[in-house]
Amino acid sequence: MDKIEESKKRVQALRASRKDIKWPLLSEEEKHHLVHKYHPDYKKEAYGKIRIGPNQGEETVREVVKLLEGESCISSESISLTPQRQVDVLIIGGGGAGATAALSVKESGATVLVATKLRLGDSNTVMAEGGMQVAVSPEDSPIQHFMDSLRGGHMENDRTLLKTLVESGPSIAKWLLDIGVLFDREEDGNLSLRAGGGSSQARLLRCKDYTGLELMRVLKDAVLDEDIEILEFSPVVELLTDGEGNCSGAILKNLDNNKYTVVQAKTVILSTGGMGRLHIQGFPTSNHYGATADGLPLAYRAGAALTLQDTFQYHPTGAVYPEAMSGILVTEAIRSVGAQLVNGNGERFINEMETRDAVASAVIRECQEGRGVETPSGRRGVWLDMPLVDVLNGEGILKDRFPNMDRQYSRYKIDISKDPVLVYPTLHYQNGGIKINADGESTLKGLFVAGEASGGIHGRNRLMGNSLLDIIVYGKRAGRAASLRASETKFRELTLRHLEEYQSAQKEAGVVPQLVSPILFPDYVNKD
Amino acid sequence: MSHSVTIEFDGSSHSVPEGITVIQAMWHLGRPMIHGVGCLGGVCGACTITMRSSSQTESQTALACQTMVEDSMALTFLPPDASKKVMTPLSADVADEKKMIHFYPETRRCVACQACTTICPQGIDVMEGVRAAINGEISAVAEKFTSCVMCGLCSMVCDARIRPHRVGIYARRLSVAAHPGSADQLFTRIDEINTGKYTEEWERVMSS
Repeated sequence: MDKIEESKKRVQALRASRKDIKWPLLSEEEKHHLVHKYHPDYKKEAYGKIRIGPNQGEETVREVVKLLEGESCISSESISLTPQRQVDVLIIGGGGAGATAALSVKESGATVLVATKLRLGDSNTVMAEGGMQVAVSPEDSPIQHFMDSLRGGHMENDRTLLKTLVESGPSIAKWLLDIGVLFDREEDGNLSLRAGGGSSQARLLRCKDYTGLELMRVLKDAVLDEDIEILEFSPVVELLTDGEGNCSGAILKNLDNNKYTVVQAKTVILSTGGMGRLHIQGFPTSNHYGATADGLPLAYRAGAALTLQDTFQYHPTGAVYPEAMSGILVTEAIRSVGAQLVNGNGERFINEMETRDAVASAVIRECQEGRGVETPSGRRGVWLDMPLVDVLNGEGILKDRFPNMDRQYSRYKIDISKDPVLVYPTLHYQNGGIKINADGESTLKGLFVAGEASGGIHGRNRLMGNSLLDIIVYGKRAGRAASLRASETKFRELTLRHLEEYQSAQKEAGVVPQLVSPILFPDYVNKD
Repeated sequence: MSHSVTIEFDGSSHSVPEGITVIQAMWHLGRPMIHGVGCLGGVCGACTITMRSSSQTESQTALACQTMVEDSMALTFLPPDASKKVMTPLSADVADEKKMIHFYPETRRCVACQACTTICPQGIDVMEGVRAAINGEISAVAEKFTSCVMCGLCSMVCDARIRPHRVGIYARRLSVAAHPGSADQLFTRIDEINTGKYTEEWERVMSS
């Protein structure tokens, strides 16, 4: 403990000397070097080959390989596929993307059912803090938003998807105002904008540091206003196909009585979110309890291809102390208003507004090379000097703009306006996912995907604030396209043929499933 | 190396490690959590508990994912919010401040008992919010409920059956409808996109 206090004193003592120093940005080459050497995405031994299915021969982290190669809890012998429910559009997942899709389907006049693992709104959306990127200011443009995102994504973004994302931004922001989302404003009524890492312009719309909570609260309220049917505690455990390459429904499991419900749907929208609770490479996570990548194995064994499934975002500043907060996000926006990252010696080591992959890599480098600080429980981290925000912007600004951070730390008697806090990268986001087109449709016909479960928009590294935009833009698009398709098609046969084919491919490739997927929840339960 | 503490839960005492949250203690005790757990980050309102420490005579409420276990703490998980929501359209008509509690008329029955404020795990002065709603001060209500996680505890303890959290979110949504403000830069940008200002540049960017 003394060592931590000593280090903290150094951070405070050196604050004045470093506060005005502008740390240089890395050159493309330096950044490439840094990321390749320290970023977990480039840790070869953490990766394995996918041996079956549409992405056979490609790689991803071992935790995801296991999920994809897992077995279903359903078998043809154990269940009757007579539909108990029929609906035009079935939406799986009740986070920001699912709720937006539900509103969009309802608006189109199609019938809709939302099935979600926990409660409506229990999702990563509600935890998003920093904001939503929309090119609003006169100095900005959708093109600049596009270029920033493309550079941030290492030029591997699907350009059509990205163009659609940034171009829809302003009208989506307008729609959010229309349904009653309270974004922070300037005196003159214009939307208040803040800078994010890797962005050339200030373009983050926000609601203090509760942006995701605000979005989800309003979306949820709007869904309830529309009288949309929601089945809570009812995750999907298997998709159904017609055996001819069309998705035709899904099987839900009621978590309270373990009973299955067979739903026949003309189209299905998968909005199951991310994967932080897989704790890839042993990382803590900023994600909600249900973030177990359920959509990936479901879509994959039904025949949908993945893209960029090997890349993940480790948010540079996850809390490492107190232990009970480990993994919890300290929003990037705090760095955008002046909080600095400093190592155990009290020295800066990176421009805080580099893209997340670069900042995370630099933090890992400092810790690996012995310039980090060890917590009592053995975690390592560097300091995030938040008191600097008040020094630079005026007394009281930090707590006023970041009430959530203040509240979280104050529960553990840490005053963020007085003391720096320890941080280390936390598993935050799945950059890739299920491959989609601009309508949100996957390579399996009739299966649409929206939000974090999809891949391509963000390339190899998502910029801050692009995810909240993504879920609304593509939630809406998927909802609209799925409704339109539903209006043109009839119900199709319900079969598990895709599963039987997948099982024979497993046998042929000598793949022995090591778990039942989707796993639905992380296994934290003490077995003693 | 780690010390343990004893908590009272579900009719018996249990020993759990010090320095973990109440939710983590449940896992430690072999209970897989499905209800009563959500974001694990203090913003979803799923894990409300009531608890009492040995030094207290009164119980207090908290979020289980944000609360560390303490020795001799007695706790119970509370049922999730089940308050009914009324349909709350956002037309300009209802955005009239006087009509703000049109859909939640029972709000006027507030007897200023403070129970809602006392119970709020987010430290919101809920009752002040309710009073502001009665006075038709939309913006003041909206501001009060900024950090509301919709756990619904305020509604659970209200003797007058007021649903402050629902009034809060409605006021927030309504405040945008009532005061859309002049977000001119946004509207200009939408026009620019719709009138094709960027079309040529897009062609260049997309073909490069």
